[in-house]
Parts: sequence; structure tokens; C-alpha cells
Amino acid sequence: MAHLTKNYPIKARDYLRAGEVSMQVQGLMKNIGFAPEMIRRVSICAYEAEMNVVMHGGDGQMTVEINTDEIILEVKDGGPGIEDISLALQEGYSTASEEAREMGFGAGMGLPNIQKNSDSLEIVSEKGKGTEVKIGFRA
Amino acid sequence: MDQGHTSLHYVQIDEKRCTGCVLCMKACPTKAIRVPDLKVARIVGNCIDCGECIRVCPQGAIKAITTGSDPSTLSRYTIISASPVLYAQFGEQVMPNEVLLALRRSFKYVYDQAYIHELYNVAVGLEIRENRDKEGAVRPMISPICPVVNRLIGYRFPSLLKNIVPIVTPREIAARELKRRLYCESVFDTSEFGVYHITPCSAKMVSIKDPLFLRSSYLDGAIGINEVFELIKRNLRDLQEDMMIHRSSGVGIGWGVSGGEIAGMEEGNYLAVSGLQETIRYLEKIEMGLFEDIEYFEFRACLEGCIGGPLTVADRYQAKRTVAKFVRMFGQEKRLKYAQAQKAYQEGWFHSERRKAPADTKDQNLSLSEAIERQEKIEAVFRSLPGKECGLCGSPDCRTFAEDVVDGLVGLDHCVALNLKRRG
Repeated sequence: MAHLTKNYPIKARDYLRAGEVSMQVQGLMKNIGFAPEMIRRVSICAYEAEMNVVMHGGDGQMTVEINTDEIILEVKDGGPGIEDISLALQEGYSTASEEAREMGFGAGMGLPNIQKNSDSLEIVSEKGKGTEVKIGFRA
Repeated sequence: MDQGHTSLHYVQIDEKRCTGCVLCMKACPTKAIRVPDLKVARIVGNCIDCGECIRVCPQGAIKAITTGSDPSTLSRYTIISASPVLYAQFGEQVMPNEVLLALRRSFKYVYDQAYIHELYNVAVGLEIRENRDKEGAVRPMISPICPVVNRLIGYRFPSLLKNIVPIVTPREIAARELKRRLYCESVFDTSEFGVYHITPCSAKMVSIKDPLFLRSSYLDGAIGINEVFELIKRNLRDLQEDMMIHRSSGVGIGWGVSGGEIAGMEEGNYLAVSGLQETIRYLEKIEMGLFEDIEYFEFRACLEGCIGGPLTVADRYQAKRTVAKFVRMFGQEKRLKYAQAQKAYQEGWFHSERRKAPADTKDQNLSLSEAIERQEKIEAVFRSLPGKECGLCGSPDCRTFAEDVVDGLVGLDHCVALNLKRRG
């Protein structure tokens, strides 16, 4: 079965290049020729997940796995971890730094937005060790 | 127009003049140009008629195809509706009315299109207001004015086609109303007159052949500003006529510069972006769900707006200064009656007749599984390349070269950097 995996490193606090990885993911999906709505959903989630790493995480990476029946985004970072995942999934809840807010990020819509636009979402996080987010889309 | 129109474009490369350099290929935002074996540049893909290649070609080998100003190609009675950009081509001393009078010496009837822009501003304002409180409304809305942006969205961002406001553009409204009026007055035999748009941009021909929101265009053709510039200059020399054709305020004239369209609208959260690269960046971000707080985007493919169009003659920054002067001179107060414009809006005067289906962006008819396999191969070829981005292979960049190799359009042995590396 056709299958494609690509890795993209994400740098923490690099606001200048923030969004670059999700744009590449968007470009990759367009090249393959996914339906516009699918591309939109995946790019929204990729962007939010990338920004979470840029804002909170230590450095991390995004892995895109493309199969004929599903797309999986796996985002791992070595950041501070999420203390209360159910709280983090609430709209408007944010622990973003002053720096991030000043730049217009950190409105507390990241994870809720991912949940809204994906078919499955798994979050594994340990305080002080980092976060792994796995986002699934059914093609 | 049928949907399979990827080859419909109005930019032409003169093979005799082309030296096979790679400048146009590198400049093309949709990677539609190749230079096989560095002989002659060819348009092979989704050309959006932006005119970037026309600007960069040092040989002047690339031209936009327009209707032209040759009387033999025009209708017997020509009606001219000029883009307000034309007014800014002759310096600050030549008034819009003089430009229109000069045109009238060579054409039967001349119309000040800038006035329609004021009406259009009201229509879009009402559309935005309606959208504001609507549940599940599309956000942000995108201006339908720039035909290059429309095509760019069709090819590269089809999910955003629904964001383009379905309001008919001022040039089309002007043409429609002129035709209606002349038909009612039956001044001429309808088959003998044609409405032509004087344009700063190479893409208007496409929007005339294949308009986004109309079954067919009301315009009969487009004439480049560069094609009437000398004629107007000549006619200006001994202008004696005294007649007022110009009737727009500074609002319509201001449209020539980026930000001019939204400047004519009532208060709201709008943003004007100009230049192709910037426009692409913004569209990418909009597709990622950003900027939903912005109500309306004014995109212009040309830097600084339409005054920077590839068919203009005056320098864009000098033209910008001239526009600013006219805007001050003729004021920001609209000359139309708001209630009248509102009534026209409610009667559907501005609304589209159709909404175009997204262009099919896939070049190959591959199944999803085949497309993923193709992409895997592309990634593998790309990884094997030195990544010098030189363009000597005849493809615009290393990634596109990898695609061309996988699609069998060119051999891997065309990579000069790879050959040098192998030789050591």
C-alpha cells in the first residue's frame, strides 16, 4: 500500500519561521492532490500544533504520515508538558507567555481547534518531559 | 468556457527573441514555465497571466495578448471604459477629464469607470454587513477585483474560491450598463458597437474570455494602457474640447493604488495586501484558518496595486503620487446617492449570475494511491539532488525538477550540479 512519511524539525521560540512547517505540509498535500477541504483541515491542525511547540515546547518535530485511507500528524516536543489535558482542551484556556501573547498568539484555541478539525486526537504528556500529540484524519 | 482550460492564457513568448535564459522561469509564481535544454522558454502549466515574466524578460520577448488598439480589430463604434489607473499615467498636471477627452478624439464614446467603483464600494459594504451576523458565514471575504488573484486561488487555493465576494466587478458593471443604455436609446445598431476596457494588466483578457461570476463578459475586449499611451499624448497636445466626462470623486480614482478599494468602504476590519509573493503567503495562512477576524481582504497581484500593472507606462511610484494628488483634489466624499446604490444592491444589480466551479488542480489523473507513490519518488529524487537551485536543468527549482524527472519530462542527467559532483 502506498505510504509516505516525512519529518520536519520545529524550533522553539523561533517566531520568525513559525508556520513554515505547516506550510510545507500544506504544499505536500496539495502536490499529492488531496481534496481542498482535507487540505484545509490538516493545515489548520498542523499550524496549531506547530505553534504549540514554538510557544511552549522545547524543540520538537512533526512527522507526517500519509496513507491512502488516513493521514496522521505526530508532533513531539521536549517542552514543559501539559499539566491538565482536559483543561487545555477548553476553549480560551491558555498558559502562553507574555511574549507569545504580544505577538498575537496564545488565545487558547489551539488544541480545541485541532479537536474540531480532526477525526482523532491523542495527547500524551508528562510534566517536565514533553508532549506527544497524535492527530488523525480519515481520507 | 469549458472546465479543462488550463491552456487558456494570454501571455506569449516570442521564440525568435527568447535567448533561453532562465529569468522568466524563475520568476513564475505557478512554475508554469520550462526552458528545455536552455533553448527556448515554454509555458507548460497553469499560467495565471500575472505578467511577472513580462517584467523580468531582458529581451522583451514576452508579451501580453490584448485586443489591441488597431481600429481594424475593434468594432465600428468603440466605447471605452478606462481603468482609473490610466488617469495617473500622464503626470500630475494632466487632469482625468483631459485624458478622457483625449481618448474621445479617437473613440466614439468614452466613459468614466471610476464612478462605478463608488457604487461597488457600497455593494461590498452591504455584503459585508450581511455576512457579519450570519451564522457559519465564510471568513475572511476576498475581493473579486484582481483577475490574477482569482486565478491563483482557482489553481492553488481552490478551498478559498468560496471566500471571493460574488459581486460583479466595476469594469463589467460599467460595460453592462453602457450596453443597456445604448440599446435602449438605440443609438447604434447593437451589432456594430463594442465596449473595450483600457487596462493596466495582462490578465483582463482572461477575465473577459472566462469571467468568474458571469455567464459571459459584457466587455468585447481589452486594450493595454501601453497601447493607447502615445495616442493620448498626441491628442492631448491640442485639446480644445470643453465637456465634462469625468464625474467620479477621489474614491474611484484611489482604486489604482493598493488600499484604495478598502479606503472607499465604511468602517470595518479590512486589510489590503499587494504583490504576488505577499498575496501567496497570506492565502496560505488564510487556508490554515488564520485571519478569520479580518472581514475583507483587498488583494492585488501587482506591487503597490494596479498602478504597478505590467501594461502601465508611468513609473509606479510616480503614478502613486499622482493618484494621491487626485484623491486630495476630488475628495473622499462619494458623489453617488447612497439610497440609490442600496436599492440597486437589493435589486441584485451587483450580483453574480453564476459561481464558477473550482478549476481542476490535478494535472494527472492519478488515484490517491498512485499520487502518494509519485510523491514518494519525488522525495527520493529530491534528496539525491545537490540543491543548488540553478535552473540549468530547464526546470524552475530543484523540487520541480524532481517532479519533472518522476513524470518523465526530463532525465536526471540534466542536473548539472549532480554531474559535476559525480565527476568530483
